[in-house]
Amino acid sequence: MSLPLGLEVGTLLLKWHLQNTKIIKPSDSRLATQNSGPTSMSIESLDPRVTRLQIEPEPNPLPKPALDQLITFEVFHQKKEGLPFTYVGPVHAADEEIAFLFAKEQYSRRAMCSGMWIASTEHVFVSGYADDSTSVYDTMPSVYVTPEGPEQSYEIFHLKKRGKAHQHVCTVTARSSEHALEVARQTLNPAPPVVSVWIIPSIHVLRQEEDRDMWATTPEKKYREAIAYRVQDKIDRFKAEQKA
Amino acid sequence: MYGGGNVFEATKFDDLEQEDPVKLAEFEARIARGEKIEPSDWMPQLYRKQLIRMIEQHAHSEIIGALPEGTWITRAPGFRRKLAQMAKVQDEVGHAQLLYSAAETLGKTREQMLTDLINGKSKYSNVFNYPAFTWADSNIISWLIDAGAIVNQMANAKGSYGPYCRALDRICAEEAFHLKYGHDAVVHMATGSPIQRKMIQEALNRWWPPIMTFFGPSDKMSMHTETLMRWKVKMASNDACRQQFLDMYVPKIWELGLTVPDPKLRKNEEGVWEYTEPDWDEFKRVINGDGPCNAERLAVRRTAEERGAWVRRALLAPKATYVRPLA
Repeated sequence: MSLPLGLEVGTLLLKWHLQNTKIIKPSDSRLATQNSGPTSMSIESLDPRVTRLQIEPEPNPLPKPALDQLITFEVFHQKKEGLPFTYVGPVHAADEEIAFLFAKEQYSRRAMCSGMWIASTEHVFVSGYADDSTSVYDTMPSVYVTPEGPEQSYEIFHLKKRGKAHQHVCTVTARSSEHALEVARQTLNPAPPVVSVWIIPSIHVLRQEEDRDMWATTPEKKYREAIAYRVQDKIDRFKAEQKA
Repeated sequence: MYGGGNVFEATKFDDLEQEDPVKLAEFEARIARGEKIEPSDWMPQLYRKQLIRMIEQHAHSEIIGALPEGTWITRAPGFRRKLAQMAKVQDEVGHAQLLYSAAETLGKTREQMLTDLINGKSKYSNVFNYPAFTWADSNIISWLIDAGAIVNQMANAKGSYGPYCRALDRICAEEAFHLKYGHDAVVHMATGSPIQRKMIQEALNRWWPPIMTFFGPSDKMSMHTETLMRWKVKMASNDACRQQFLDMYVPKIWELGLTVPDPKLRKNEEGVWEYTEPDWDEFKRVINGDGPCNAERLAVRRTAEERGAWVRRALLAPKATYVRPLA
C-alpha cells in the first residue's frame, strides 16, 4: 500500500524523534562524567516549551527549601447580583490583594460571578459543627453575659447541610465574635438545621463588588462551554455518509 | 482528570483497634445516615491517612496531567483549538489547587505535598508517564483519559468527606467541557481525511493499553477495602469503574469506525466486558519510575518550583520599607 507523501514524511519525522528523544533518568550517575558541555544533558522534549527550559536533571536534587507555605484566605463569591455570598474555597497568598487576584482566577474564571469577598482564615470564627438535622445555636448556653468592649460589625454565614457551602445570612453589631453569635441567634432565631456558623469582623472582609465590568468577560469564551461542541451533528453526518 | 485508586498502599489496618470505640461508632453512624464529615470532626487515623493519600494523588495527577496535553498548545491546529486547549490545561491546574486545599484540611501542608511529589515519594496517575507524540494523542487524552477521570470523580463526589465533595462538584462541572472538547476533536479526526483517520487510530493504539490500566488492578477485597467502602472513602471497585468506562465509551469509539486494539474485547451475554488482561508488570515498572516520561515530568515540576521560588520569597517579605541612602 502506498501512503500519501505527507504521511510518510510525518511517520519518518516521528520515528526520528522517537529515536532521538533522550529522556534522562535522574538516578543515572554516569551522566555526570559524560557531560561535556553546559546544555548537553538538558531534556529534549516533545514539548518545545520544555526543551527551551534547558532543564538538566540532577542525579540528587537538593531538598526544596521551606519557604513558601503562604497563609490562606477564605473566598466567598456571589453568582448573580442579589444572591447571597457563598463560600467557594481557600487560596494561598501573601496578602489579601494577591489573594483576591488568585481567587478571581480560581473561582470566577469559569462560572458566573458578580462579586467576591476575601477574608484571612485567621479572622474567621467557627462555631463548631452540628448534625444535619439540628442547629448549632441550640448547643450554646442559654444564659449569656454581654462582654465589655467597643462594638463593631460582623458578617454571619450559615452552613445548612454538611458537604455544602456556608452562605452569608446577615450583618450584626456586637462586641466580640462570641457575642456576634449570640446576637445572631437572638435576631435570626433560625429554624434548624444550622450545621455551622462562621463569623468574620466586617473590617477584615475585602469586598470586590463595585466594579461590575471586571466580571463581564466570561460569557465571551464560548469555547470553554460543553454546549459549544456539536459533536452529535458531526457523528450523524459521518454515519449517513458511511451508509450512502 | 484523575487517576483512580490504583496505588493505594494499605496503612496498618489494626490501627483501628487503637481508636475510641464510642467516637468510632458515632463517626460510622454519621456516615451511615448519609451525612458528610467536616474537617473539625473526629475521624479515625485510617480514614485521615487514606483520604490524604487519595486526594493528594488526585491533585498531583491534575498538575502532572497538564504536561502531556500542554505539549501541543504551541502547535494546536488553529487559534480556536489553541484557546480551548489552553483553557483545558488551565482548568487542570486549577483542579490541582482545589484538591491540594481539600487535602490540606486533613493536616498535611500543601508545601509538604509538593515536596513529596518532586522527590518522587508521592504518586500520580500512571498514564501521564506516557508521551503525547502527536496532536491526535492529545485528542485521545482529552477525550478518553478525561472520560475515565469523570467515571472516577462522579463516584468520589458521593464520598463522605465534605471538602473533597465540594472540590469535586466544581471539578465535575468543568470537566463537562473537557469531555465534549476531546470528543469533538477525536470526531473531527476520525471523520476527516484518510491521513487524519490513520493518525487518530494510531494514537488510540498507543493509548489503549495505558487507558486499560487507568483504574488500577483488580482490588483484593480485604477487610481494609470493605472498611474504606463502608466509610465512603472508596466508592467503587477498580473493576467496576473499568466496566462502566468500557460500557460508556467503547460503543462511541466503534461508531466512528475506529478499532480498539484488543482482539478479545467484547461484551458477553451477561453484559460484562471481556478484555485482554493489561500488562500489570509494565504498570508497576512505570509507576516505580521506569516509564518513558517519569524523569521529564518530575524535572519540569521541580524546575517550575525552583525558578518560581524568588517570587514567593519576594512576596513573603512585604513589610520591608524604603529608606533613603544615608551618604
